[in-house]
Amino acid sequence: MSDNSFTNVGFSGNNRYSSYYGPGGRLVFVDSALEAVNKGSTTIGIKTPNFAIISSQIKPTRPLVEPSEKIFSIDDHVGATGSGYIGDILQLIDEIRLHAQKHSVSFETPIEIGSLARHISSYLHTFTIYSVRPQAASILIAGKDQTGIQLYQIDPSGTYFKGSAFAIGQSSEIALEVIQQEYKENMSVEQAIQLSNNAIEKALAEKPLIATGLISLVDGKFKKLEAPIMS
Amino acid sequence: MTTIVGIKTNEGVVLGSDRRASKGFFIGSKITQKIAKVDDTLAIAIAGQLSDAEYLIRVAKAERKLLELRRGFPLTVKESSRLIANLAYSGLKSYQPYFVELLVAGVDDNGGHIYAADMSGAITTEDFASSGSGSPIAYGVLESVYHENITNEEAKEIATKAVAAAMERDPGSGNGIDVLVIPNLVTVTASRR
Repeated sequence: MSDNSFTNVGFSGNNRYSSYYGPGGRLVFVDSALEAVNKGSTTIGIKTPNFAIISSQIKPTRPLVEPSEKIFSIDDHVGATGSGYIGDILQLIDEIRLHAQKHSVSFETPIEIGSLARHISSYLHTFTIYSVRPQAASILIAGKDQTGIQLYQIDPSGTYFKGSAFAIGQSSEIALEVIQQEYKENMSVEQAIQLSNNAIEKALAEKPLIATGLISLVDGKFKKLEAPIMS
Repeated sequence: MTTIVGIKTNEGVVLGSDRRASKGFFIGSKITQKIAKVDDTLAIAIAGQLSDAEYLIRVAKAERKLLELRRGFPLTVKESSRLIANLAYSGLKSYQPYFVELLVAGVDDNGGHIYAADMSGAITTEDFASSGSGSPIAYGVLESVYHENITNEEAKEIATKAVAAAMERDPGSGNGIDVLVIPNLVTVTASRR
């Protein structure tokens, strides 16, 4: 048996090195995952003290094919969306849903949004330390708990942010700029949806299909808004 | 102990129960809620070990929500009953059975349904059913007055009568009656002391 065959036992290709540091101390595979996210559909989250919306561009498919769902109910009081590989997004969404229900079985209370963000953060983090492919998806979670309306972004590295506005996916820097300029804490739901639509349109320089979800303080229930708006 | 009844109607389903929880010959509680609402279209009446029933219902609630989210539409009453029966069956087969007799009642696209589920993991579909120590007495009432094409209002009366009769002669049942009506698509609650 040659030396060469020994080193290849059980592994193939670059997979083996996914948890190694690259030049400049970067985790190359994690960076690649983020790059993939930056090619994903433009996705926005906006939060005010009274409500939060999440919206995502729906990429056109060919005729006779239904585009995949982009806004997901997690539990009565939480919704989520994401950008990146749709397969990875779906897997992460299911992980979040499962965690929410495990909480209700254990405590008979709705889970708080921060716990969901932390859970999916540590779930993603495991993919950065073992010899596997990190998940190429960033997730936005919006919901209501004891501390009010919450909005989180979680990245493939496991990093999570809590905030009032996020943009991920293709040309998200442009979208974020639009939102940062026009964000107001006292804006209405309609204004927020308009702002997020504007941001996506500006980022993509076209008017795409957009799906939106809403959680508001009034009823505390996450709702997918009726049929994607052709803006 | 306990008396619970369930009646299928032409407008939905009706559940009835007493409110007594027994600890041997002692009345442990006089205000026990034995009808657990799972959501607006499904409720479960409990007889047997309360802790076991609570656990089964908690798990069923979570599994129902998960599957509805995953596939996009809710479980039928039969699917929900089978889900609970499967948990009960796995308990039985691992020598740690859940000591319960449940009446799973709800409405779906095909109208109202009553399923009786027990610790063996079997489910049977019924037009009307009763469980618990007072059930022989309750069945006496149900058998004599139940008829087809019954309305929710009639069924509410019959459920109340059946539980009331059981409470008169069964020492394991008493302290008031709860009735839950699940009409097709909307839920209303009513109770009588």
